[in-house]
Amino acid sequence: MQSLGEAIANALGLLLGGDPELWEIVAISFRVSVTAMLVATPFALLVAFALAHFTFPGRKLLVTLFSSLLSVPAVVVGLTFYLLLSRQGPLGDWKLLFTQSAMVIGQIALAFPILVAMSHSAFHALDRRAWETARTLGAGPLRATLTLMREIRFGLFAALFAAFGRIIAEVGASMMLGGNILHYTRNIPTAIALETSKGEFAQGIALGIVLLSLTFSVTALLQHLQQRRMIGR
Amino acid sequence: MSQALFRFIDVRKSFGRRPLLRGADIELVAGRCALLVGRNGSGKSTLLRIMASLEPPDRASVDFGGGPLPWRRCRGYLQRHILYLHQQPYLFDGDVRYNLGYALKGGRDKRALVDAALRWGGLEALAGAPARSLSGGERQRLALARAWLRRPAVMLLDEPTANMDGEARHATLELLRALREEGYALLIASHDQHHFGDLFDARMALREGRVAQCADEPPAIAAVGR
Ligand SMILES: Nc1ncnc2c1ncn2[C@@H]1O[C@H](COP(=O)(O)OP(=O)(O)OP(=O)(O)O)[C@@H](O)[C@H]1O
Ligand SMILES: [Mg+2]
Repeated sequence: MQSLGEAIANALGLLLGGDPELWEIVAISFRVSVTAMLVATPFALLVAFALAHFTFPGRKLLVTLFSSLLSVPAVVVGLTFYLLLSRQGPLGDWKLLFTQSAMVIGQIALAFPILVAMSHSAFHALDRRAWETARTLGAGPLRATLTLMREIRFGLFAALFAAFGRIIAEVGASMMLGGNILHYTRNIPTAIALETSKGEFAQGIALGIVLLSLTFSVTALLQHLQQRRMIGR
Repeated sequence: MSQALFRFIDVRKSFGRRPLLRGADIELVAGRCALLVGRNGSGKSTLLRIMASLEPPDRASVDFGGGPLPWRRCRGYLQRHILYLHQQPYLFDGDVRYNLGYALKGGRDKRALVDAALRWGGLEALAGAPARSLSGGERQRLALARAWLRRPAVMLLDEPTANMDGEARHATLELLRALREEGYALLIASHDQHHFGDLFDARMALREGRVAQCADEPPAIAAVGR
């Protein structure tokens, strides 16, 4: 087993030396998570808007449901979709298990409640006069909706960053649905979890550094936006 | 005798079991300013919001020239021609220019129109200021200039001079006078008629859910007659 100092030195070597395997893993992580965000966000925004804007039976229940889904562990989401997608499962014919698509599905399921819950509270906190002013000034329902989104844009960015931060770093669903296949479904968190257990510390540390810088930048950006919002008021 | 642009007939609205509007009738005439007075909670804002199609009544009919129609069938028409101004204007998160431009669909002369609205509202010096940094009086002027750009037939103003000092109130009244002269039908809701001097041509009171014409002559006409 390597010493810690050696491992860190090797990790920096991998990072700075542009190790192709390392950066391929990073690219897979991004491809999967960005795809999941692109699919989930428009639907989540619509659901959040509808929950905040319309009154219908079961609305409160749905809001509660989405907030409670926030804290479902990623492995449970992974397990659920594993059972659905596995050969004997109801969606087994799609042959998606251990593909990037399966990982995307799992990450959509993880991101969706965060996006809905956080954008819903942003829509909900917005003054009712915003909608009325847009409408009385001649905006149709679509333009008025886009106006509301513009008014709460910082809250929506916060939702996007929070959701992305969760899915880029989650290991449970990606492991169960992707299977950690090198060059295909091995992403940052599964690589860290599996390679480290095999004694491959350098790669794990290097990927850990990538993930940390990423979450740090996202959090910093988020705080910056929130400060802008305070000043913007 | 000028023709009414809009007649609202038998407007009824309850919140829960409490009836608020119990068959209110009211009409709007071009180039006229009507004042609707009534105690706090008498339903003035609710009536205005129903007229501007921002809130559904329990029932109401609207006549805009072709005989009475149920309110529901007029929603779009009301929305296009009747503009409601909140007591506290809502300003979008952007500068003064952005807020004015919102009332326009776009088009090539947008910039010139916004410039004209800045002049109309005396807001030239504030064109680039964040709208939410404006004072109460400036906010009201911006809201009026934005409404002016939208060019509706009717403007419904909810307590347009509430919480203003003498100077800001004076500036707001001047703009309201200009609107009336340009031919807009104005309806001002207020619990205090004394703020509006001789601006209004007719005075009505909302009492127990109905609109009553006030018999006494408005000050303008009374002064001329003397
Ligand atoms: N959405 C609503 N739900 C329940 N009650 C409401 C609603 N809107 C208004 N009300 C009630 O209706 C009554 C009249 O309200 P409204 O704002 O129309 O009165 P107003 O004459 O404009 O009063 P003010 O002079 O204080 O502005 C109030 O008692 C208010 O609580
Ligand atoms: Mg009111």
